[in-house]
Amino acid sequence: MTNIITNIKDFFLRFKNASSETRYKMVLKGTSVMTSLFRYVVLIAIGYIVLYPLFYMISSSIRTGESFYDPSIVWITSDVTMENFQIAYKLMHYTEALLNTVVYELIAAFIQIISCAFVAYGLARFEFKEKKILTMFMFLLILVPSQMMIIPIVTTYSKLDVLGVLGLIDTLTGIDLRVNILGSVLTFYLPALFGVGIRAGIIIYIYVQFFKGLPKELEEASWIDGAGPLKTFLRIALPSSGVVIMTVTVFSVIWHWNDFYLSSMYLHAEQWPLAVRLGELANDDVLKTVGIPEYGANFPQSIAIVMAGCLMFVVPVLIMYMILQKNFVKSIDRVGITG
Amino acid sequence: MDENKIVKTDEVAPANAIKLGKKHRGIESLKSTYGRLFVLHWEIGLILFFVVPLIKSLYFAFCDLSFGDEGYEYQFAGLTHFKYAINEDPEYVDRLLGTLASSAGSLPVIVILSLILALLLNQKFKGRLFFRALYFLPVIIASGVVITHLFSSTSSELSSSGVSDSFASNMITADEILGWLSLPPKVIEGFSGLLNNIFNLVWNCGIQIVLFISGMQSIPDSLYEVSKVEGATKWEEFWFITLPMLSRTLILVIIFTMVELVTDKNNDIMSLAYQLMQHGATNFGKASAMLWIYFGIVSVIMALLMFAYNALFLKRWDTGGRS
Repeated sequence: MTNIITNIKDFFLRFKNASSETRYKMVLKGTSVMTSLFRYVVLIAIGYIVLYPLFYMISSSIRTGESFYDPSIVWITSDVTMENFQIAYKLMHYTEALLNTVVYELIAAFIQIISCAFVAYGLARFEFKEKKILTMFMFLLILVPSQMMIIPIVTTYSKLDVLGVLGLIDTLTGIDLRVNILGSVLTFYLPALFGVGIRAGIIIYIYVQFFKGLPKELEEASWIDGAGPLKTFLRIALPSSGVVIMTVTVFSVIWHWNDFYLSSMYLHAEQWPLAVRLGELANDDVLKTVGIPEYGANFPQSIAIVMAGCLMFVVPVLIMYMILQKNFVKSIDRVGITG
Repeated sequence: MDENKIVKTDEVAPANAIKLGKKHRGIESLKSTYGRLFVLHWEIGLILFFVVPLIKSLYFAFCDLSFGDEGYEYQFAGLTHFKYAINEDPEYVDRLLGTLASSAGSLPVIVILSLILALLLNQKFKGRLFFRALYFLPVIIASGVVITHLFSSTSSELSSSGVSDSFASNMITADEILGWLSLPPKVIEGFSGLLNNIFNLVWNCGIQIVLFISGMQSIPDSLYEVSKVEGATKWEEFWFITLPMLSRTLILVIIFTMVELVTDKNNDIMSLAYQLMQHGATNFGKASAMLWIYFGIVSVIMALLMFAYNALFLKRWDTGGRS
């Protein structure tokens, strides 16, 4: 304690005796220490709010049902059990559902990243008459939730038609060429390919805003050198927008990963991705299969199982983000060169 | 001979100029064709999977729906659903105004909070990667089933079943913190409302933070080097470099946040409409009408916001993409 006090005294003495230049440096150092202190305080305080649900998930997923009634347990129970994970794994058909997520959702996510980039480049860099109307539709696409159009969309998918042409053929010749794509990968791939998939509007908008911010000079130079629009886009614009592509990839993957509503509408039970399985996990009928009803004596254990399921749902994406983050840093360096 | 040559070149020059001019216009029209090619597949997709279903769903708002043997059947009902929503439904108008007001209140808080957090996370400091991963958690958790599960485990069944430990009870509440500070009760009331919302607000910031950070990373370092040489303070750096260079990201974040708040399925309007939709096909028309009025108002507000933002800030800040 006295040590600290003498240190502080020493500091003030040095400050008093120092020349004005060193004083200025000391003040600067002081403020930088204060700002970094401020940063850590804010980040950790809000970080607590952010981390809390994760802690809660971990803490309750390793509990037995009885321990929920014990008020002395705050975070970590003494009788740690992995049983909940096993049950959740079984109930969610984890490996099967994970595979479904990859096949139905993640591939669509990547298709969407590519197709939306083209659309956004067209909107950001070229001038044409319909652009204003298209921009308006982009905002509508962002705004209108899929729940609002679900009935017309499902009927469209159940008899896929191209502007009524196939329907006309049907009425004229009696040959029904319209196919039912519900329950197939096409329900996700087709909209993604046409740039109207899950949250495509906001993805296009993100791309547009960043493409507009890219320096035009490089692209103009490439035009003058005789490269076509496609080449300019692929060789000049895309390589210098690494940050955006990373951002959009992360968002698109996560939104597809989390997609519950559309896959529960389009797909059959055996095709359900992880998100739907997780959603159904809290369902009474599902829990009953292992003898745990949602309400009743074993009720707390159902929470533990659901939380274990949540954790198993979150961890793959978190790992993916950790891996991608390294590339985030790399792509920053690239932008530095072009900017 | 010499004179002839000069005359010749003079003759050639204007001809060339005209040719160039024509060619220039040609490039412009060629460019717009290229632009159309870039968005062609999207136009098809928009018509097939967006505009047609959207118009159909608008039509449903004017119809009475019922499920028959072959899918659904509908009968034209005119404006009755719209009239019902505005005049007869006891809650609709109040809920509409309430949702709009609360969204308008949360919007600036979320945008500013995420901007501050992004600024803090973007600088170089120890543990930056860790904190970035940490602040990414809401993106994964908050936009899906997980958050529903988390909050349903806080429900009243839990407390009544004698469970001591639930999602909410473990959290240090704002009231507790304010209690330690021993402030007058009226002040506490005002603050606790705000602070109890912080959980929701912070959880809505994840994507905005990522957007802001990637926007900041697109700002060339050379600008900051210049400002350092010129002796600008950090404060000036923020107002004259960071914020203007973020103008596009800022409006993106504002629009995104607005849409998130407005379409949040737990807000008053959306929950009312979705509940109606689930109660049989007969209510589908009513719910559609409610949603259409709501989204009509929202899109008008959004358009006004965009217009105001463009007029006030973007023109002043826009550097034309030059770095």
